[in-house]
Amino acid sequence: MKSSPASRRLPVHAVVRPEPVSIMVDGEALEAYPGESLATALLAGGRRAFRATRSGALRGPVCNMGVCFDCVVVVETLGEVRACMTAVRAGLSVHTGLGNDGAGHGAG
Amino acid sequence: MEQADVAIVGAGPAGLAAAALLAGHGAEVVVIDERPRAGGQIYRQPPATFRGEGLPPGRSYAAGRELLAAAAGASGLRWKLGTLAWALFEPRDAGPTPGRGEATWVVALADEEAGIGRLAVRHVLVAAGAYDLPVAFPGWTLPGVMSAGGVQAFVKSEKLLPGGCFVLAGAHPLLLVVADQLLRAGAELAAVVFAQPRPRLRDGASVALGLRGRVAPVLGLAGPLARLRKHGVPLLSSHLIAAAEGASALEAVRIAPVDGAWRPTAGPERRFSCDTLAVGYGFVPSTELARQAGANHRWKPREGGWVTDHDDWMRSSLAGISVAGETAGIAGAEQAAEEGRLAAIGILRELGALDGEQAARAAAPVRRALARRRALSGLVARRFEPAYAALAALADEETVVCRCEEVTAGALRAALATHPHLGSADAVKLVTRAGMGPCQGRFCMLTVASLIAAASGRELAEVGPFHASAPVKPLPVSQLAAAWPGPDSL
Amino acid sequence: MERVDVAVIGGGLLGCATAYYLARGGASVALLERGELNREASGQNAGSLHFQLEFRMIVKGETIAEQFASAMPLFLDAQRTWATLEAELGTGLGVHIGGGLMVAESGAELAALERKSALENRAGLDTRLLDGEEARQVAPYLSPMVRGANWCPSEGHANPRLVAPAFAAAAARAGALIAARTPVVGLSRPDTAWLVETAGGPPLRAEVVVVAAGIWSGELTAMAGFALPLLPHALTIFATGASGPLIEHLIQHAGERLSLKQTAEGNVLVGGGWPSRLHERDGVPDPSLRPAARFGSITGSASVAARIVPAVAALSAIRIWTGITAASPDNVPVLGEVPGRRGLFVATAGSLFTLGPSFARLLAEQILESRSSLPLAAYSPARFAAATGGR
Repeated sequence: MKSSPASRRLPVHAVVRPEPVSIMVDGEALEAYPGESLATALLAGGRRAFRATRSGALRGPVCNMGVCFDCVVVVETLGEVRACMTAVRAGLSVHTGLGNDGAGHGAG
Repeated sequence: MEQADVAIVGAGPAGLAAAALLAGHGAEVVVIDERPRAGGQIYRQPPATFRGEGLPPGRSYAAGRELLAAAAGASGLRWKLGTLAWALFEPRDAGPTPGRGEATWVVALADEEAGIGRLAVRHVLVAAGAYDLPVAFPGWTLPGVMSAGGVQAFVKSEKLLPGGCFVLAGAHPLLLVVADQLLRAGAELAAVVFAQPRPRLRDGASVALGLRGRVAPVLGLAGPLARLRKHGVPLLSSHLIAAAEGASALEAVRIAPVDGAWRPTAGPERRFSCDTLAVGYGFVPSTELARQAGANHRWKPREGGWVTDHDDWMRSSLAGISVAGETAGIAGAEQAAEEGRLAAIGILRELGALDGEQAARAAAPVRRALARRRALSGLVARRFEPAYAALAALADEETVVCRCEEVTAGALRAALATHPHLGSADAVKLVTRAGMGPCQGRFCMLTVASLIAAASGRELAEVGPFHASAPVKPLPVSQLAAAWPGPDSL
Repeated sequence: MERVDVAVIGGGLLGCATAYYLARGGASVALLERGELNREASGQNAGSLHFQLEFRMIVKGETIAEQFASAMPLFLDAQRTWATLEAELGTGLGVHIGGGLMVAESGAELAALERKSALENRAGLDTRLLDGEEARQVAPYLSPMVRGANWCPSEGHANPRLVAPAFAAAAARAGALIAARTPVVGLSRPDTAWLVETAGGPPLRAEVVVVAAGIWSGELTAMAGFALPLLPHALTIFATGASGPLIEHLIQHAGERLSLKQTAEGNVLVGGGWPSRLHERDGVPDPSLRPAARFGSITGSASVAARIVPAVAALSAIRIWTGITAASPDNVPVLGEVPGRRGLFVATAGSLFTLGPSFARLLAEQILESRSSLPLAAYSPARFAAATGGR
């Protein structure tokens, strides 16, 4: 579920980021920074919901520290991971099950 | 199987302080943390790939910088970052252990690269910290509703504003700290809403000011309060969240007036448009590993609920397991560090590295510092103690209480009515599935327990917690399968 | 003093079901459970509904074959009972009869399955040996390592967390008194009725007492002077997170410890006899303490499961638990009136999730009408009377 991002990365006076890389999210390219979490990348990219429950309810990150499991996404070669506990690196391919790429993952 | 003298689970203030002290006395220490960098949550560092501001500037983070530097500089310390400690086994259940059979515990580990491992140690320090208290109100599962700690970590560690327009609601002084950090980062704040009445808030700030001369200011709320006023951010008291509203994501928050006991009172609700709600009503100690091992726990509502019981050397009821920091009761970073030091001295005494007199001497200044910290944290705890029953009452029939399994408050109340003999959180879990998802009950345990207490008339203390079993976080079956030592291990 | 026709001691599946059938039959019943209902073996098992011979029994030869054949009417009764239980109790129990497959990976295991299937067919149980390809046609999720499987269409699973409480609720609706957190501390027969003393509550008089307390049944019969030898088996199960429908059948193994199924909610449960460690109190195993999970059992069960159903490797284990099941020294259930103790009945020890509702109904018949529609003599506790050295 995307909208124009209300989330935004803090500017350069607070932090110097490495060169950005491209990752895929639901089949679309997204620019992100190596080392930041997938949760950060998805929020900055305008996504507020990261997954849907068995009943179809949309969920996004809540605790940002790996205990709530509401930020779980599928990353190719890694399987189901918590977005807040997974670092961005070049070439990652992420599936939320909410996108248009048809690669929805299992319930729950 | 790897071995060491001490395993420290958690690289936050308690774990870091203990690690430096233990290593300083020549103990072989392994520090384990799920996160990629040390610091825990309060001193959560930005990604290693970021340059520039590490921990935020200012006095309250200076202690964190010192702890991180001391631990980084300690020789003889082994780090297992990005590693999950998923269970504590007695050696006979996970052996055979190397060495001369001195190990008292085997720590079961898992990390992405190495898979599953085992670490045999003579002593374990569980300093696993805490997580934000989950509160189930209508709409709390909407994307955009986050914990105050989670929002703070995005801002100070990930250097991200996780939304555009924020409402902060809660009952803990952390809320003002987060509000301040958001303001400084350029966020728009629609409102900051406290459950407590206004005089209590002022008491909180004056507590900090009054003690400033004797104790380093833990709260330091005067600055944040002034900045909120300056930016025209509405600061409300005596209100609880009534609902989070939105179609597919958060669009607005409704709050309702409450009395001094956080119970609904007459008066209009108020509504604020926003896209992110930071919820900060308190914290829950992460006691899962200590519970899985079988240590005793005690209900201490002012310290976060079920807390690992410990003696005056921070030893749990199980030989070879100590606790420090939030796991031993919510009290903040400075107290956590002192408890870490005390636990470390106690462990050195157990290991025979210090005799009784040396240990008592080393512990004396730590005990004095701890006494000062406890005086302050006790005051804070009293003023900001969550009213669990009032929070649990926020859930209406359709409110999802167990987020993982989507079990509503209505379904829980119905189960309690159908099976009036259900008297424990575990019994309710078996019948309703609440607590059976990947979060393993962390997010619903207190609400479920409060609902049982309300329905059965039993005390919260008798009702829970959920039984904690291995693994304390979900583990890939593939990793477990690859780790089988073979048929002789049975 | 409260007086009932029957006091049932033990709030697991057998106790709750017996209370229900007795109450339905018009008896006044009190069910006494010392802790919470369904918290022990009945609520902790993996919910398998299995009828084919377990692998450890097929090496034991002809005695087993006779026992198996004579137990067949009971198995058929259990199949019929499970098929209608949800309707009878008026609530979902997660009953799923999708068939069971006991797989073989080696030539020796395959040969053993062949002998087993023949024995089962002779006894009247419908099973059929499939080769590897046929097995994968039935169950495409099975690994290519599977060389064959014994197919038993009547097998499946149900949700053990729901069954005993459903029986208890139905028993209450039929007039039974259900008392949890009520330990029994004394059992005697001072005159024509039993006297049941409870901790912290009033005593109870009952014409008949049914001890259905699992591994603790011996403690209770000892109060009445009868020694019942029972052995605790401490086991291990783990559950994965939920996923979409993947595994339709109950999967077992001809040569390894494996019992694998997927519940209605999508969790895969893996067990199969992997041992956990009983805690001891004063040097004696104490079944009241939850057994300690063992690293070898957790990883071993994961290893077999992932080898037989490769898709399971991609799931996460979110919960491991241990539990104790009671077994009699001859591995045959104990059901019936205690010799020399009129009105004292015992019901425990065996694969009693599958057979529990049937046994409970038959026991209720025995108590209410002094006869049961299927013979229960083979299960009588009388066979332990010599061991007691008593009457």
